[in-house]
Amino acid sequence: MSFSPQIIEHFSNPQNVGELDNPDVTAFVGNPVCGDQIHLYAHIVDDQITKCTFLAYGCTASLATASILTSAICGLHLDAVALIDEAKVIELAGGFTPSQRHCATLGQDVLRSLVHNYRTGSNDGLSGSLQTCQ
Amino acid sequence: MELTIEAVIGNMHWFSRLPQDEQNQIKLHLFRQNFAFHYQSNPFYRAQCEAKGIQPESLVSFDNLRHIPLIPVRSFKQPNAHVLVSVPLNTIDLEIRSTGTGGIPSVARRDVLTTTRASIALTALYREFFGISNGAGLFLCPSTAETPEMGMVKVFNLFCGILDDRTYLVKDYSFHAEEAIEYLRQWENKQTRHIFGPPFLINRLLRYMELEEIHLKLDPTSYVITLGGWKRYNGENIGREAFDEKIQTYLGIRPENIRDMYGMIESNMLAIECEHHRKHVPPWCHVSIRDVSDFNIELPVRKTGAIAILDPLSNSYPSYILSEDVGEIEHDGECPCGRVGQVISFRRRLQGAELGCCAVSIEKFIETQEAIEECKLPTT
Repeated sequence: MSFSPQIIEHFSNPQNVGELDNPDVTAFVGNPVCGDQIHLYAHIVDDQITKCTFLAYGCTASLATASILTSAICGLHLDAVALIDEAKVIELAGGFTPSQRHCATLGQDVLRSLVHNYRTGSNDGLSGSLQTCQ
Repeated sequence: MELTIEAVIGNMHWFSRLPQDEQNQIKLHLFRQNFAFHYQSNPFYRAQCEAKGIQPESLVSFDNLRHIPLIPVRSFKQPNAHVLVSVPLNTIDLEIRSTGTGGIPSVARRDVLTTTRASIALTALYREFFGISNGAGLFLCPSTAETPEMGMVKVFNLFCGILDDRTYLVKDYSFHAEEAIEYLRQWENKQTRHIFGPPFLINRLLRYMELEEIHLKLDPTSYVITLGGWKRYNGENIGREAFDEKIQTYLGIRPENIRDMYGMIESNMLAIECEHHRKHVPPWCHVSIRDVSDFNIELPVRKTGAIAILDPLSNSYPSYILSEDVGEIEHDGECPCGRVGQVISFRRRLQGAELGCCAVSIEKFIETQEAIEECKLPTT
């Protein structure tokens, strides 16, 4: 197993950790088997993310991914957030080994859930997608 | 030349039969080395030590091991678990996890050195307790390919290197007992057949054999080896005595070859039952039983309390773990099997602690899948 410099940095010095007071939207993805979980909380003004925080549990790469994504999407318009796919998550994280690859899916799904929840007003917080870590 | 942990692991048969005083002197030496490393390399842990006024020089006698600051096992679930790590993150080789009923995983990070030591130690333990060097393994659990980071599966998987054939019978979180019977019949007169798995799944196989009135007689040196706890995810207990009786009745395996193991992913300690059904703490590890109302108080042999495990194999983090398990040191000295040292007995989880282990997580998921299948509307 090896970690990219970005993962090492964000795991060792996580950014934007914690719940946000009165968030405009929350999102959650989790894996029922391996247990990786990412919760996002965001403030949004005119469809633009002004602040985003996270709580995450699981492997080093998933914790770091959550931190990396909250830093990356702050200031972005929701349309741009919705376009962040697995390839972009991998790029932001500086690459994943095969055993860390599930974090790209987790990252993509939690962002899509965030955008979807805001646009549909469904601040479910505990739905999100379920996938199996490989 | 200085005695190292690697030398002790490599000479397990000799070390586990040394007179206790000699064994304890060597253990103290190993813990001094390991504690000094974490004290120097890990600022978070050093702060805990300083708060308690403990430094490497404090470990003068074996009795002083009880002063080593313990890390509560739930720290491994925390998002800031990076503070536990004593080595650079780029040396982490393996992340092993366990998820209990609470859903939040506990993740233990092992570096290259710890992974090497643990792999050698587990193989040495398997050879010492079972003497297995060939045969076929029926693994009633998912494969490591399906669940690459699951602690219980990883521990079982190390048996594969000393077996000639193997199969994993939990696929896509479903288990079919008839498939297990097919394999056992297929291997008859070709391989010595061994069965590995958590008690709840072996119990499922036995229930199926009972219902279908299937009686097999496995081989004289066959083993049934269990790991994962005797409590089901719904809180129900699996009775050990009835379990052993059914194994004798339906699989024809001698009671002394039915062996349970106890461990947790946060530690490299795996306590294995000998032929007298006593779970031996590996001779390089040390178990300390703590008063549940004050974890600073160490309890004597045969007193029940919280189980703390001190493991000098770990290089990546201080593996001095205060678990959420309750049990006792059943015996400390020579066992009729010839091994000397601590014999541990697990009783239950601490009050308020979640049911936390890989087996519970597998069982819960299998049963959920089965419930979904049963509730499916018929398609016309």
